[in-house]
Amino acid sequence: MNYIGHGGKEIVERIMPREQAVEAIKGLTEVTIRGQIAREVIDIAYGFFTPLEGFMTRADVEGVCNEMKLANGVLWPIPIVFDISDEEIKEKNIKEGDKLLLKYQDKPMAILEVEEIFTYDKKEMAKKVYGTDEEKHPGVARTYNYKDKFIGGKVTLVNEPVMNPPFDQFFFTPKQLRQKFAEKGWQRIVAHQTRNVPHTGHEWLMKGAWLSAHGELPVEKTVTGILVNAIIGEKRKGDYIDEAIVLCHDVLRKAGYFREDVHMTSIALWDMRYAGPKEAVFHAILRTNLGLTHHMFGRDHAGVGTYYDPYDAHRIFDRIPEGALNIKPVRVLEWWYCPVCGEVTYSGLCGHKDKAQGFSGTLIRSIIQDGVKPPRLIFRPEVFDLIMECAEKYGFGSPFVTDRYLKERQDIFTLPDLK
Amino acid sequence: MSITINIWINEERYEKLQKAGLANMAQEVLAGLKVIKVPVTEEQKDKILKVFPTAKYDSATTKSIELLPREVKDKIFDMVIEKQSLEIMDEFLKSY
Ligand SMILES: [Zn+2]
Repeated sequence: MNYIGHGGKEIVERIMPREQAVEAIKGLTEVTIRGQIAREVIDIAYGFFTPLEGFMTRADVEGVCNEMKLANGVLWPIPIVFDISDEEIKEKNIKEGDKLLLKYQDKPMAILEVEEIFTYDKKEMAKKVYGTDEEKHPGVARTYNYKDKFIGGKVTLVNEPVMNPPFDQFFFTPKQLRQKFAEKGWQRIVAHQTRNVPHTGHEWLMKGAWLSAHGELPVEKTVTGILVNAIIGEKRKGDYIDEAIVLCHDVLRKAGYFREDVHMTSIALWDMRYAGPKEAVFHAILRTNLGLTHHMFGRDHAGVGTYYDPYDAHRIFDRIPEGALNIKPVRVLEWWYCPVCGEVTYSGLCGHKDKAQGFSGTLIRSIIQDGVKPPRLIFRPEVFDLIMECAEKYGFGSPFVTDRYLKERQDIFTLPDLK
Repeated sequence: MSITINIWINEERYEKLQKAGLANMAQEVLAGLKVIKVPVTEEQKDKILKVFPTAKYDSATTKSIELLPREVKDKIFDMVIEKQSLEIMDEFLKSY
């Protein structure tokens, strides 16, 4: 079956059959890649980044920076580039027209066709994408860390990654997800983007977004679903460990806070750029490719520090031309605890602003770190217990990322031998 | 709204508060959580964020400094008990 992704383009998997791959990689110049690039190779190859078939050429980057469009005119907000040092180009005599074998975990992973080798002013790239050139901004820092040159060209996966538990239950390619949705009979699916273990504020955001997305559809059968899509990428000290994030989201359904037939947990491989509004558009594109119809955006989506207004990521959708994006943003305010209402309630409805008590992911982390179990109205006990279990099982005793976790954690995926 | 450090009260800390006769220092928030809110000035906040890089100031939702290391919070808590007062940050920060 053909599936249509972002830009009206078909989802195409760029994967070479194994027998063919073994031959195709013989004699190719080898380049070892880092985690971010490996994740993006997977995203390109399975169609998560449709219509991208490879890393961007200069014309693409220029279009993205200046007009938020690829060279072919399709909406795209963030450069997806393959960086390489001058020394490596010289030393390996890499030229346009070459094919490179990208290696990761010391295994062959993908072929990169060198269509173009180019430079780009990184300061300009940062300024155009992030609206700032301050190195304090993590997306800007990531841009400045790129090496001197970029290679644009198509990518073909020659060795499919094998997801390691517990992530294997949650990794679905765009094609697989669409098959899942068809099996479930979901006509509308709303995305919940996450990098957090859920508190009830998140739970209600999802429930509110579901109601919003479901709208006028009939209620006798479940035709609307929630897809939790956890972003898995580079971790920073103090974040929740990845295992806790996905398993705790999943337990909300298993423990009945969501019905079995309305909720599903999944992951996407991506290194957050914290580009605020631009990243919101990127997330919308990614989830379009996953087959979703709606995307919830809360306060300060993908923001960092005070670089963006908390609702910039809502307003950017007003400036996107009709038809450029095939997913509907669901814009929401925060949920808070109101002692007068006696419940967690929507700040857009509750009239007790002076008495309301907001709670954030940071606040909950702080409570847990102090050795206190939050009340069930704020944080579900099943989630709390599971966090503690994950700390033991995956986090070397801590539910938060530590130096040890960074060094010794199990990889999300493993590349098998290619024989 | 003034800036605070939230010290979340577990049973162990609550016992210490009770023993010191300070149980009413704890406020109840978020449907049953006990917390004591230690006030911090703008300058003290900046110093804390510098000295303890893991700490975060939540300017949007709670106007509080969160994610201070557990040991640091224990020390602040102990000083509150010792001085029988919430106004301790000046003295606390002298040693940093
Ligand atoms: Zn209320």
